[in-house]
Amino acid sequence: MGARSGCTTRLVTSRLAAGALACALLHGAVAAAAVSFADAGAVIESRTLANGMQVIVWPDHRIPSVALYNWVRVGSRNDTSGRTGLAHFFEHMMFNGTTRRPQGEFDRLLQGSGGSNNAYTTQDVTVYQDTFPRASLELVFDLESDRLANLAFDPKVVEKEREVVYSERRLRVEDSNPAFLSEQLQATAFLAHPYRLPTIGWPSDIKAWTLNDLKDFYHAWYAPNNCTLVLVGDVEPQQVFALAEKYFGPLARGPVAAPVRTVEPEQSGERRMLAERRAQNPLLQVAWHAITADDPRAPALNLLQTILTGGDASRLHRLLVEERKLAIEVGSGWSEGFDPNIYSIYATLAGGASTAELERVLNEELARLLATGVTPAELARAKNLVAAGFWRGVATLDGRAQLLGEYAVLHGDYRKLFAAPDAYERVTAAQLLAVARDVFKPQQRTVGVLLPRTTAGH
Amino acid sequence: MKVTAAAALAGVMGNATVAATLDHVNVPVPDHQTTTLANGLRLILVPNHDIPMVACNLLLRGGSRLDPPGRAGTAALAADLLTHGAGARDAHAFADAVEGVGGSLDAGARNEYLQVQGQFLARNSTLMLELLADAVLRPRFAARDFAELRARRIEELKAAKDSSPDALLGSYGRALLFAGHPYGRSVGGSERSLARITRADVTGYYAAQSASDRATLVIAGDFDPKRMAADVAAAFGGWRRAAEPLPPLPAPARVSGRRVLLVDAPGSAQSYFWLANVGVPRRYAQRAALNIANMALGGSLGSLLNQELRIKAGLTYDASSRFTRGLVAGEFAITSFTQTENTERAIALALATLGRFRREALDATGIDAARNYLLGQYPLAFETSGDWAIAFGDLDLYDLPESYFGQFGSELLKVDAAAIRSVIDSAFPAPEDLDIVIIGDAARIHDAAAKFGPVTTMALADTEFAPDTGAARP
Repeated sequence: MGARSGCTTRLVTSRLAAGALACALLHGAVAAAAVSFADAGAVIESRTLANGMQVIVWPDHRIPSVALYNWVRVGSRNDTSGRTGLAHFFEHMMFNGTTRRPQGEFDRLLQGSGGSNNAYTTQDVTVYQDTFPRASLELVFDLESDRLANLAFDPKVVEKEREVVYSERRLRVEDSNPAFLSEQLQATAFLAHPYRLPTIGWPSDIKAWTLNDLKDFYHAWYAPNNCTLVLVGDVEPQQVFALAEKYFGPLARGPVAAPVRTVEPEQSGERRMLAERRAQNPLLQVAWHAITADDPRAPALNLLQTILTGGDASRLHRLLVEERKLAIEVGSGWSEGFDPNIYSIYATLAGGASTAELERVLNEELARLLATGVTPAELARAKNLVAAGFWRGVATLDGRAQLLGEYAVLHGDYRKLFAAPDAYERVTAAQLLAVARDVFKPQQRTVGVLLPRTTAGH
Repeated sequence: MKVTAAAALAGVMGNATVAATLDHVNVPVPDHQTTTLANGLRLILVPNHDIPMVACNLLLRGGSRLDPPGRAGTAALAADLLTHGAGARDAHAFADAVEGVGGSLDAGARNEYLQVQGQFLARNSTLMLELLADAVLRPRFAARDFAELRARRIEELKAAKDSSPDALLGSYGRALLFAGHPYGRSVGGSERSLARITRADVTGYYAAQSASDRATLVIAGDFDPKRMAADVAAAFGGWRRAAEPLPPLPAPARVSGRRVLLVDAPGSAQSYFWLANVGVPRRYAQRAALNIANMALGGSLGSLLNQELRIKAGLTYDASSRFTRGLVAGEFAITSFTQTENTERAIALALATLGRFRREALDATGIDAARNYLLGQYPLAFETSGDWAIAFGDLDLYDLPESYFGQFGSELLKVDAAAIRSVIDSAFPAPEDLDIVIIGDAARIHDAAAKFGPVTTMALADTEFAPDTGAARP
């Protein structure tokens, strides 16, 4: 249920099944099947090195492969004005050579031993992903510890990578109306908190990053005590801990990362923004200030999201797409982060449909929801969809590494993953209504509209 | 470790990896049973109790290549409607039944087949089979649902032009490369062809093409195979055979020389390009060598194309190449994108890289690197029951031996420089023989496009994926 914006990756797409899950964050489950989910985590072991790095191992011997995810607690919420996009740019630079290995060596060694890699940056975290045969385990530890300790900053490489990132921005944002609107909506919904900053960075900042910006960023954030290493696959915990000690143990603890101090002031009235672009279909996006990832109301909000827009039987799909035919697609998402982010509902309109009419119908439906709540059938459907989504999530090594890291880092403890089924099962219709009332307040709403530009010839 | 030591390590790493993991160079094919029902339906059951889920994959040979003339998208609409009301359930009741238990059941079309795929919690496997049989044997094709879906698909094609021009390259490209051949048809149709399709086209299509002896059903996951076989026989036993055999599908001819289709997207920040020719079929004998060669050219981050266009030149976020391989052929295509003012430079560099790759091929180190990458990644394509449901479906559809997946690793190990040279000569086009599609700001890139061949221009907003032959602008 990742947001549609704020997540950028190293690769456009993975070309093998081993690719990244990227933004697809899956959530909790209902333990209803023969295999108990609550017990699935019993084989997991965790250790914290003396320098503060946490290492979590989920042995899983179904295939002779391993997924290693390094979760670094830094994202675009740690960027600043004038240096937006730096967290993401840094993610790219982590593949571009160390004082021990020239640019290209990381990919060459890893791929040459059967491993693939990717990485992604969100508003909250940066995640480095390696998926490889078990025989390459030590090589991967060597490569990962090397770039955490010895990153090189070659000015020529920085200039090339700057162009690569700008190309990524053009692809993802400038040539995509939904992403363009989402970026502006985010910047409108937040006045003060750095969640207002686009993860990929504003164009002027992409052009202006300096070598010193990069070096400062590295020293501020890339330290073992700011990383959580998750390994899933054909390994044994003791073997992994020994390698972690050997390769990451010698790294010095870094400075305690500076907290994000700014708290978004309470919004006291609706905000609106309009974008006019070359377009065939108008877009509407509405956002409300919501809650943090570790908020006890999070399971209820995720179930609400499924009720509203998850699947063809969801409330808003039926109403806006099928019944009223105002939209051809409606979705919603919530970025689960360290700080309260927005919950947004987004729709692509049918050509000729009115955004005002769509907004009116949406508001009426949300008012109905707040007045009468959800039905038992809606709640049961959402719980079952989330449960099945969880089982799909743990079907692969990558899925397991993603979920473990998400719970360890964003929820504070990987063990919460295995308690999640109960948390979802216990959610009542009343709790769901309560979180809906907390979130869907008109005075904390931001409305974004994108309309086709009305110029001659178009 | 010094750089030199690391390089030495890399030199032996390939062989060391292969040696150390030789026992699982190949992915073991799971136990399964294949049967053919009296009506010709092929059934493949793949039990696997790791995760309490069950997946189904039903393939019906035919697909959009049998769309009525001028009505591209008919098969896709028919497939769409299978899961929008069937048997005793209307569209709402059907969606309620699927999602109410947390399941999924989706149907779609490809050029050569229709496909229905689903995934349910194991405890709902009986319901899954009931819904699948209803969808395939008793679709309602309700007039209201037909009209609504057709309208929505038209709008979605327009919306894609506002959000992901790169995703449309293949539709324009195949219309050009395979003009007159069924592979050139846009599976989802065009805005114009969809507008022509009637409900009678859809029901007529499905009545003619739905047939038990053209279908393969794979069920994989947590179930009892004996009971499942009986349930499938009961649910699908009444499906009738085809009245006629499938019409033959001729192999498309390769193109010689170059043509450029420039799709005008005024104000576009980048130019998105696609360079292609007719490639090779799924049953291509040297597929292991083909995989290694393409991995080296454009199949990974470390590939030649990505090295040249992204890492060395900083021209793009991504440059890649791939083979799409169907029953009789498919396309080989290089795709990338770049800032508008760099259009000529990026395309020229992609062409030069292809030319260099064809001349120089791969040395032993290059072959080992790509081979090891494929050996290491290939088990990850077979992690789940859903993966195997797709894999067994492919084996049956393309008439491939089990060793296609089961011995892929061994085949990779046998590939040598001569095999690579052979596939480069037979499967990779020369840079002089390519159809080129560019989506971008024509006013700014027309002259650059013309450097690569005779240009035909059309507008992104046009309602077809090919220019009007009468109205094509020079």
